[in-house]
Amino acid sequence: MFRKLLVGFDGSEGSWSALRAAFALSQGASGAEILAVSVEERLPRLPEVIDELSEEKDRQNALFEGLHKEARDAASAAGVNLKCTTVVGHAAQAIARLAKEGGFDLVVIGHSGHSGVWGMFLGSTADKVVRHAPCSVLVVR
Amino acid sequence: MPSELNNPQALAAAWMALALLASLISIRLGISVALTEILLGVFAGNAFHLQTNEWINFLAGFGSIVLTFLAGAEIEPGVLRRNLSRTMAIGMVAFVAPFLGAMTFALLAGWDAKAAQIAGLALSTTSVAVVYAVMVETGLNETELGKVILAACFVNDLGTVVLLGILFANYDLWLVLFLAVTIPALALYPKVARWFSDNMRGRVSEPEIKLLFLALLFLGGLAVAAGSEAVLPAYLLGMVAAGLLVRDRVMVQRLRAMAFGLLTPFFFIRAGTLILLSAVASSAGLIVLFLGVKLATKFISVHPLTQVFAFGRREGMYTTLLMSTGLTFGTISALFGLNHGIIDREQYTVLVTAVVLSAVVPTLIAQAFFQPQPAVAPLETLLEEVSPDV
Repeated sequence: MFRKLLVGFDGSEGSWSALRAAFALSQGASGAEILAVSVEERLPRLPEVIDELSEEKDRQNALFEGLHKEARDAASAAGVNLKCTTVVGHAAQAIARLAKEGGFDLVVIGHSGHSGVWGMFLGSTADKVVRHAPCSVLVVR
Repeated sequence: MPSELNNPQALAAAWMALALLASLISIRLGISVALTEILLGVFAGNAFHLQTNEWINFLAGFGSIVLTFLAGAEIEPGVLRRNLSRTMAIGMVAFVAPFLGAMTFALLAGWDAKAAQIAGLALSTTSVAVVYAVMVETGLNETELGKVILAACFVNDLGTVVLLGILFANYDLWLVLFLAVTIPALALYPKVARWFSDNMRGRVSEPEIKLLFLALLFLGGLAVAAGSEAVLPAYLLGMVAAGLLVRDRVMVQRLRAMAFGLLTPFFFIRAGTLILLSAVASSAGLIVLFLGVKLATKFISVHPLTQVFAFGRREGMYTTLLMSTGLTFGTISALFGLNHGIIDREQYTVLVTAVVLSAVVPTLIAQAFFQPQPAVAPLETLLEEVSPDV
């Protein structure tokens, strides 16, 4: 069974479904651990001053901290072990990298997150994670 | 347009509509609002012949002054002191080589000497903020290497601003007066501003910000009277005020709200309206060559130094490419040349287009091929930092 699960978590409905699926999977495996990763990927590129970027980063940090608290509360209620982290970068790239560096054996991801319109043209984060992750990937609808 | 709408409010509304649109686009796409404003300015200037006038030019000029002040205030004096030889060497060489290279190339392209100097200045710059933004993605900004790169970028831009300030100045009594007032004003400003901060902070009438604006406009006015550039004292004032701004974040936020809400949109949109799309097409080859000269001279100058200072191969290339970026000071330099009749619209178009490309192209190459791997924080560190209560 899968014991180290990595969940892409951006607060979208799809990512909550992925998180709940990960809870369900871990409940069947003793000692399983889940890491929810949120990726700050809309930081301004080519800013005029450093603060333009750092303030947006602070805003996104606060947003994800709130989401992580909700996720941990949900994990406690489900009786599973959840850790949360936030990284900066391209969502699919960051998730694939974390999966590799952390030795995860399953990535769980929502079918549609916040990639929205861009996903229709460029392929969603889920598409790219499936292509690049070093381990099994569960895409939750 | 009906003549009844030819009034300041209606004209300002058109500019603000562009500024608002630029904000929305930049938030949606995650790219710089400055770049978006320039591009919308290009569109509005070429498609609708959006006009400027005296008060728009003033707001734009004041925007560049406040922006320069904020950029000057971003220095970390401690990092500069700890790594003085490395930062000064990399920063100065990264400024001098592109300046000489682009100036020489402009002379070879048939530009006159003063126009060539403007070309050299516009393409000698780097962008501290762009470099910072790229490094945040790798976590490099938290490392000593990252801080050295940022401080070197700062030194690079200081070179550009100082040379822009002195190269075209009139060497007369006004320059003497400008220096005689500016030097003691820079020395006194931190003390006076600290007194204001301690005794007047949080007042609705904003005396601290009025003091800052007074200093910026007064010193800027003297600089212009001396034939110099108002951004020179603004950058230096930012440097001496950096420590104060670190402890007064509320003032920084208010200042930034005024700058980004009202002033800098006029600067960047105006910079865009002055670009001639016809000249972009007819001078595309020249634009690419100017960009190539900037990238090549940055490579020749910065890369060997990164090896001397024992940067790794990837880190060396990464640093070199990041220091090839530039936007704000390149635009300011080109606009200075245009405003003073040193370059014409076509030359301005060539320079600003090359500057915009220099913000984008090296960043993409650096991130695609030379992103330093070890700068990424280990997973365990991330977990401890973000979820200590788990």
